[in-house]
Amino acid sequence: MSAVAHRAGPDRPMRTGRGRRSSPTTWRWGDRLALAFAWIAGIGLCAIAAGIVLYMGYRGIEYLRPSLIFQRPALSTTQSGSGGFLDPLLGTALLTVIGILLAVPPAVGSALWLAEYGRPTWLARAVESSIEIVAGTPDIVIALFGLSIFQLSLFAPFSFTASGGGVFGKSFIAAGAMMSLIALPPLFTATRDGLQAVPAHMREAAFALGKTRIATIRRVLLPSVRSNIATGVTLGVSRIIGDTAIVVLLLGETLRLDQQGSVPGLNVLRGTGSTLTSYVYGNSPAGEGGAPQKAYAAAFVLMVLVLALNLLVDRIGRSQGDASGLTAAGAVV
Amino acid sequence: MGKRLRDPWSDHRAERTLGAVSLTVGVVVVAMVVFVGIHAWPIFRHNGLSWVGPGGSLETEIANMGSTSVHPPPSAYQLRAWPLVYGTLLSTGIAVGLGLVISVFSSIFIVELAPARLRKVAIPVIRLLASVPSVIYGLIGILVLVPFVGNDLISSSQKASVQNVVELTGAGLAVTVVILTVMITPIMIALICEALVSVPSSWREGAIALGLNPLRAVLAVTVRAARPAIVAAAVLATARALGEAIMISMVSGSRSFAPKPIDGLVFLFEPLRTLASAIVDYHEGVSAPALGSALYAFAFLLLFSAFVLSVAGYLIKLPLRKYQVRG
Amino acid sequence: MNRIRRLSVAFAVAGVLGVAAPAAASALTTISISGATASYPLVSLLAQKYVKTHPKKVKFKIAQGGAQVGINDVAAGRVTIGDVSRDPLSSDPAGLVFYPIARYAICVVTNKANALSNLTQGQLTSIFTGKTRSWSASLTGATATGTIDVISRQQGAGVLSSFQTLLLEGKKVPGTFPEKISEGQLKQAVESDPVSIGYLSNYQSEKGGVNVVAVGGVACNKADAISGQYPGVARFYEVTKGRATGAALAFIGWIEKSAAARKIISTQWLPIT
Repeated sequence: MSAVAHRAGPDRPMRTGRGRRSSPTTWRWGDRLALAFAWIAGIGLCAIAAGIVLYMGYRGIEYLRPSLIFQRPALSTTQSGSGGFLDPLLGTALLTVIGILLAVPPAVGSALWLAEYGRPTWLARAVESSIEIVAGTPDIVIALFGLSIFQLSLFAPFSFTASGGGVFGKSFIAAGAMMSLIALPPLFTATRDGLQAVPAHMREAAFALGKTRIATIRRVLLPSVRSNIATGVTLGVSRIIGDTAIVVLLLGETLRLDQQGSVPGLNVLRGTGSTLTSYVYGNSPAGEGGAPQKAYAAAFVLMVLVLALNLLVDRIGRSQGDASGLTAAGAVV
Repeated sequence: MGKRLRDPWSDHRAERTLGAVSLTVGVVVVAMVVFVGIHAWPIFRHNGLSWVGPGGSLETEIANMGSTSVHPPPSAYQLRAWPLVYGTLLSTGIAVGLGLVISVFSSIFIVELAPARLRKVAIPVIRLLASVPSVIYGLIGILVLVPFVGNDLISSSQKASVQNVVELTGAGLAVTVVILTVMITPIMIALICEALVSVPSSWREGAIALGLNPLRAVLAVTVRAARPAIVAAAVLATARALGEAIMISMVSGSRSFAPKPIDGLVFLFEPLRTLASAIVDYHEGVSAPALGSALYAFAFLLLFSAFVLSVAGYLIKLPLRKYQVRG
Repeated sequence: MNRIRRLSVAFAVAGVLGVAAPAAASALTTISISGATASYPLVSLLAQKYVKTHPKKVKFKIAQGGAQVGINDVAAGRVTIGDVSRDPLSSDPAGLVFYPIARYAICVVTNKANALSNLTQGQLTSIFTGKTRSWSASLTGATATGTIDVISRQQGAGVLSSFQTLLLEGKKVPGTFPEKISEGQLKQAVESDPVSIGYLSNYQSEKGGVNVVAVGGVACNKADAISGQYPGVARFYEVTKGRATGAALAFIGWIEKSAAARKIISTQWLPIT
């Protein structure tokens, strides 16, 4: 947000004329209240953020032991026997990989098509609107949609079929496919903004050399938006690991990774499992409720991951040179 | 065919391929509307549009739906989901209202008032708040805020005053709205800050030259010019708040109850349930056809609201375009 | 992206999958189960033991959701077996076969700080049907004051149905009370609310953390339940669509007949006879 950083503030105060600043003591009461409120709002927000991070950190340090990260969860009637959250951690990783892999082709492809071709115009607008709609759809609706699709017998190979003929519909493939919808909008926005920012002369130079459009895309444009795509991917990853609704509805919520079938690799994808988010939800009073300590520990790990991803976005943005603020590549959108 | 693929592609083929890839998203959106609509249809067929209206006890109706198995009788589809719609409107409305005010003033703070050091801190802070997963907000809510409200804020006389109608446990409207506001404010601040910054400072300086004090100048000129962005922010925040399911399911008390403002202060402590949190709460029963249809009907309503919001946001911004400030 | 990078990405992905997938299993039959939260701990332990004693034969997928979800799922063919914690009702779909496997006691519980020791049948019914709304001295030993926070289960819960039949003289718990969707949640709610009262299976109440209330002078524990004195004893059933066949039949038969299963049941629950 470099533009914001150079705005007025006490180092470049709102001056009225040379050297004289309008002091709030001369203002009307309403304006003074508004000023106070602005300060309180701003500082309050920072305080809340600090509070959340510090509290999660405090609880996390209180309850997190390294053994929890490397131990598999176990069914047990007591807390001490119920193991750690290795499987949920792996589930998070696996789901993220699937989601991103499925999201990259449509996102980058659509961004390229929109930026470089984009005819006919009604189609371009339709594509943009569709992505906007997907971005605005609640994740719980996307989860229900995924359930309705993957419980069709057409998609039975993607999950487990019960002996009575009912398709379970919940598996890593199902959840991963819906997660790709979650990651698609930030990835698309990042790539499209990057492509639009590529100066026209780069394209013109390539055309002058006789390159076709597609060759220009492959050799000139894509490499130059690499960091945008990286930012988009990181944002997508951050949204995927934080999503709970899709996991609760579509991943089968088994404590451990539960394979389905006998083809190695595919059996994990067809199987069920859990992620850090569903583990936190399940261990909180909203789930079985028995283990707030485990919930805090897992939530702490989740927070650390999210913070790390945030830093990564920052780092990529900075190396890109023209970081344009909070909404860079749809950071918050 | 491998050689054909490896030959340099023509622009024509590339355009077709990329266009097809772009269409997949459109296909997914259409599929979403179709599939959710198909599963929701039985509810519409049996109740018409009045299923969003009041009447009867929602919890009895849902219990009925849950207990009918493979071939439910038509009466099982009876649904009057007004408490859920009301809960959604109430929590979203209050949160967005509060959030807008807080965001505008926070943005003014960040852009105009904050010392440079604090401003550098504020940006990562806002981004952090925006990326905290909702389950963590829910965890802090249910383990810290709900016991605090339940044990320390609600007096036993307040509890007794409504004890024949509903139980106050601390999980309710107040905690829901507070956390929801904290969740949606960063989104709005990001957009509003960008817009405030892009308003030419000469406009503000002109106002100051005319005698307005600096804060008033900001409010009267810069904020007014950033109205398209504020509208966009409000639309985005409303969409986020509408769709929030997990956090609300954890802290709202999960009762299909419509909080009554007449109850005075107790109104803030009454439990509620929203459309999205109802889907999470009842999702295990989705295999019962009647209950499943009801859940899909809720989802359809949410989908429809998301559509309406985008269109409304676009329409509201149209007349504001003349200010030519990026929104 | 050159070839080396492409290969290393492929390896990374395969690595994640490889770490996550223990040695490939041969084709196992999967028995899927869903239903009551009250019998979930028991059925999980039984399934664990069954897999240990019958290696490489079956896999279990156990979900919860409440007894009614179990009934619906098994009737729709979505699962092989349904866990149910109440007796069959007339509203249950036709064609389901109920196999009783164990019994459990339903205990009335309050917060640990509330020393309520005994409730008569009349007092119990009056509290849970919403007639008595405040703690008073007439409730023996109650140290709580103010409103009684009754915490109940959701409509589809087998424990609720059994509780109403056995301990509330058939009357229903009104909808004004919070409905928790699992035993764990109900216990959590009672533990955190000093003026609350609820009901749990004896497995949950004996875990500690709550005050167990006697009904009609009879304490709620295994001894009094086995002796038949405690009125609130219900059954766990395994439910299948039609008579059980194949792997499901083998599992249910093992539960009913084997010594190992009987040992597991008698740790926290009551045998079926």
